[in-house]
Amino acid sequence: MAKKIVLETKGLTKRFGSVTPLDSINMQVREGEWVAIMGPSGSGKTTMLNLLSCLDAPSAGEYILDGVATATLTEKQRVAVRREKIGLIFQQFHLVPYLTALENVMLAQYYHSMIDSKDAEQALAHVGLGHRTGHLPSQLSGGEQQRVCIARALINQPAIILADEPTGNLDEANEEVVLDLFKGLHREGRTIILVTHNPELAEFSDRVVRLQHGRVVHDESAH
Amino acid sequence: MFFRMLRQSFFRGWRRKALATATIVLSASLITALMNISIDVGDKMSREMKSYGANINVVPKSEAIPLEIGGVDYNPLKDRAFINEADLPRIKEIFWHNNIVGFAPFLKTGVVISGKEKKRINLIGTWFDRQVPISGDDEYRTGIKLVSPYWQVRGEWPNEQGAQNGMPGEVLAGALLARELNLKAGDQITVRTGDKAPREENFVVKGILTTGGAEEKALVASLATVQRLAGLAGKVQSVSVSALTVPEDRLSRKARHSSDSLDSAEYDRWYCTAYVSSVSLQIEEAIPNVTSRPIWQVAAGEGAVVNKIQLLMIVVTIAAFIASGLGISSLTVTTIMERAREIGLMKALGAADWEVYLLFLSESAVVGVVGGLLGCVAGAGLSQIIGLSIFGSTVSFSPIVIPVNIAVSVLIALSGSLMPSRLITKLYPAEVLHGRR
Ligand SMILES: Nc1ncnc2c1ncn2[C@@H]1O[C@H](COP(=O)(O)OP(=O)(O)OP(=O)(O)O)[C@@H](O)[C@H]1O
Ligand SMILES: [Mg+2]
Repeated sequence: MAKKIVLETKGLTKRFGSVTPLDSINMQVREGEWVAIMGPSGSGKTTMLNLLSCLDAPSAGEYILDGVATATLTEKQRVAVRREKIGLIFQQFHLVPYLTALENVMLAQYYHSMIDSKDAEQALAHVGLGHRTGHLPSQLSGGEQQRVCIARALINQPAIILADEPTGNLDEANEEVVLDLFKGLHREGRTIILVTHNPELAEFSDRVVRLQHGRVVHDESAH
Repeated sequence: MFFRMLRQSFFRGWRRKALATATIVLSASLITALMNISIDVGDKMSREMKSYGANINVVPKSEAIPLEIGGVDYNPLKDRAFINEADLPRIKEIFWHNNIVGFAPFLKTGVVISGKEKKRINLIGTWFDRQVPISGDDEYRTGIKLVSPYWQVRGEWPNEQGAQNGMPGEVLAGALLARELNLKAGDQITVRTGDKAPREENFVVKGILTTGGAEEKALVASLATVQRLAGLAGKVQSVSVSALTVPEDRLSRKARHSSDSLDSAEYDRWYCTAYVSSVSLQIEEAIPNVTSRPIWQVAAGEGAVVNKIQLLMIVVTIAAFIASGLGISSLTVTTIMERAREIGLMKALGAADWEVYLLFLSESAVVGVVGGLLGCVAGAGLSQIIGLSIFGSTVSFSPIVIPVNIAVSVLIALSGSLMPSRLITKLYPAEVLHGRR
């Protein structure tokens, strides 16, 4: 039985003046799928992720996320979609420097609905940081910071997890830990879209989408 | 969670807030000091202006037109109306008694000095500095030293009682008189009254008096001495009163024109305000058969100077307000730039613009409150320094300054950060979050 389609784009295009970093992308992602987006630098990966995460509005085309047509939404409505349906992980982690690991996770709860520290502690324990909840980002290693970000991305049970080079700033050992976490998420049936340069990371995905000059040049199952 | 963020942002990032707080502290202390002083300055300045002399003159109601030739009084004293010395303490017991700085009585009589009989001169009796029994204040002292601080004596002041124990009485010789008759401190003179039944008495000149006025051509002795010589025990001719008064305004000018032109509400308000005219009236009511006249030049001059100084203070305060507002404004711009990622992140996590605004404005408000409080403390100190260096006395601290100052500080902090906060709206998370390191 085919799983339901979580995300679908039709002719999704982004232009900045005369530059078109993303040109007519057609793509479908099913529930529980792990998609790796690859491509050379400047091929439009980040631009695409910004559109998929509703951080940016497309210049043309359609984007349906979890049943909601988002292409024509206002900024306000896109904020709501981000809050409700998306878990974001960045290359630079982006934790609030004056909040502890626990508080950083609770921040996502706060903007989503209401805070629940038990829940947030569990999420941190889930990424192996149960003993570091009271530490500030500056007291955590890069790998640990990224794990806090992953816990934060998961806390509101998003329809989809979007990650832009989550291991780009990590050494190999930490990369391994984060990769294991993604594997675990995949096993749990989460839908993941992950931008990466790293073929190793792509290897474990269900499917690899290759971009070049803003177009999909390759889209197939990895296995 | 919101308060948790606010608290953590302060506890863990206090260094970032320190500069903004310091800006507020600076302006708040300046504003506190100026407010404090301008509240107190009316009082301080009025006291300061008192060194220019009395502002109310009290004379008997039926005072005959004085017969003066060349400044010397030829009116026979016995025909004239007097004020009873015993009534004088009542001046300090009127409704505005706290505003009465001091008063000094005068009694003049014409005399000649033996050996210099051709020249008839005035002998003026007054209080120098003596204790006056006032109900409710046993320690009250007043006299010419307080009322006319510009009276300067080379030598010593005479004693208050006059001749006693067989010692000669003591007088001051006016500077012009002393030059003309070649008198110095320590000289002995014999003074004779010019009446039909002349009396004679020896005096020692204790000091030479400079006043810039008619007293420089006269001899000045204690009131008791002159009363005895003139045979007018317990009588005085006039009283100079130095009172702290508020500047003239529309109401007092109307009252000055005619107090009948006021309706009863206006009259009450006039009567219960320390205008020089209402204080005058109260003195008239307190002492039988006297007329009490404001000396308008002095009163008006004082008001004008105080008003101008207060205006100046207000202008400086507004300038401080604007300057620190601009300072906060540029600091907020820097903060928003520095914390762009944090803001972008909040937005990416689903924070609405207003939620981010609220956090930043609340931080500013806290900076305002903290800065305002510290500024009050620093400003209280500053106003003492200013008070001591300008007025030579401490400035009383008005508690009203604290809430006003905190409100103003918060207002500065908020208005300073309101404009730059628009940057928050313009900040797109997509742009700040994917920055290459
Ligand atoms: N705001 C913008 N204004 C103009 N051009 C932009 C903007 N954002 C991206 N571009 C351009 O779009 C193209 C794609 O950029 P994008 O960041 O999506 O590449 P990428 O695939 O993520 O590259 P990398 O692997 O280096 O992260 C680039 O040529 C870039 O210069
Ligand atoms: Mg990129």
